[in-house]
Amino acid sequence: MNSLMSRPNPKQKFALQSIALLTLGVVSLLVWNVLKKTYLSDVQVSSVARVSDPVPNLLGDIYFFLSISFLGVLLGITCAFYLEEWLPETNWVRCLIEGQVSILSGVPSLLYGLLVVTVFLPYSGAFQRTQGFPPAGDLNTASLQVSSFQGDTTLFYIAVLTFVLLVVPRVIKATQEALRSVPIPMRESAYALGANRWQVLTKHVVPLSLPRVIAGACRAMSCALAVSALFIGIYISGYTIQPGRMSGRFALFLGAALVLSIFSSFLSQRYPLASTRHT
Amino acid sequence: MNYSIETENLSLWYGDFQALIDVNVKIPDGQITSLIGPSGCGKSTLLRCFNRVNERYGNVTTRGKIEVLGKNIYDSDVSLPELRKAVGMVFQRPNPLPISVYENILFGLRIHSSMGSLTRTECDQIVEEALTSVFLWDDLKDRLKVRATSLQLEQQQKLCIARLLPLKPKIILMDEPCSALDAKGTLAVEELMEALAGTYTFLIVTHNMAQARRVSKECIFMFLGKLIEHRETQALFQTPEHPKTADYVQMRYG
Repeated sequence: MNSLMSRPNPKQKFALQSIALLTLGVVSLLVWNVLKKTYLSDVQVSSVARVSDPVPNLLGDIYFFLSISFLGVLLGITCAFYLEEWLPETNWVRCLIEGQVSILSGVPSLLYGLLVVTVFLPYSGAFQRTQGFPPAGDLNTASLQVSSFQGDTTLFYIAVLTFVLLVVPRVIKATQEALRSVPIPMRESAYALGANRWQVLTKHVVPLSLPRVIAGACRAMSCALAVSALFIGIYISGYTIQPGRMSGRFALFLGAALVLSIFSSFLSQRYPLASTRHT
Repeated sequence: MNYSIETENLSLWYGDFQALIDVNVKIPDGQITSLIGPSGCGKSTLLRCFNRVNERYGNVTTRGKIEVLGKNIYDSDVSLPELRKAVGMVFQRPNPLPISVYENILFGLRIHSSMGSLTRTECDQIVEEALTSVFLWDDLKDRLKVRATSLQLEQQQKLCIARLLPLKPKIILMDEPCSALDAKGTLAVEELMEALAGTYTFLIVTHNMAQARRVSKECIFMFLGKLIEHRETQALFQTPEHPKTADYVQMRYG
């Protein structure tokens, strides 16, 4: 209860602020350096200008980041509030979603890459427009080919969709933890004063859990940005994994995994390993 | 004599477990009544029935009749906020909201009145009145903007009582209000209860029999979900009728 209410003392606050300022300073220096190299001088970093040009990439990253934070974080937080505050614990929808969320938040990001290669890309028709992946071996051709992908906005939507999938379970988990950290007596005191659920939520639970919710969302987002290196993985994996529509065997495995995960989410509800419930 | 709370054959289940068995009780107006009994006998459960906070746990089934201030609280036209406004509750651990002292006292009022209907002067007056009646005004008048969770426990518990008062409740339920306090704090809260007893009906759950003897006029002994004995406090402690009561009040067990 006290940890939730504790504020950093002036010394800690000063230390935290200086660390934040320092980080900001270093990052802005780096960005300035990059900009200076490319735009304030004539030096070109690479011969393949469209790929190596930092500004479109930077802008792309920002645009991308904003899209996933808007979609993913909003969806995740809403979902967590609905699960935690509205659905009773014994509800089967809640049990199913919570199980799936637990499983999804443990899935390594590479598998999302595979999902993109085997499902999203083939079915979106992006390959038809670019005549498939370039032949293996010549990296320069590869980057040229990648750059020819760039005009295709479908790819952007695919990337956003994948990352929303990656972010949402993590955001849900973090938000649920934050909501559970609001002490029961706090809620009860508000209920006992005659507040309804909405008032308890807005005046009470949200302000109390907001710092943790934001921290959780930031963690999920930074994790997402970190694995956006996975895009490179996708392009490279084009040499070893032949992209194509889902094969029968792949569909079978996918189906089996789905059935198992649903089964296990009900099983974990019935026989919980560790009680994380607050009541 | 008028009764604030009356129950008829009140039974309550948590899932399959029956926590209250045919409880019939009448709590008189304007005095302090205490509930005693060993842990798990249903005292708190009974207390929590009276403003229906029990229902939040989902798997609770209640049967029987509870009349609070002459109104059956399970009628369909009963509004929970209004019921909880009339029946305030103080918890075991002081649980002020993590906002300022000032806002804590106004919290209840703010959720029951429409936005902007309270003027600044009204608010100031309400806060002063509430704090004065719990003897906190002199201590806190210069610290109204302090976070309520940073006060001493005793002050926090008094504040929890104070924040009920602007809602003008008729009944105040207390679930072991002093168990988290030291002797001085306990005494302060008891004095406060005695001072307020004429205006409000108090029902307190306590494990401290000395406290029950000191503050309450009537005393109820419960055992394993049943109401065993309900009499004047002195009579219950000196000449208990039921052997279980005798065992308990003479500390032979429990």
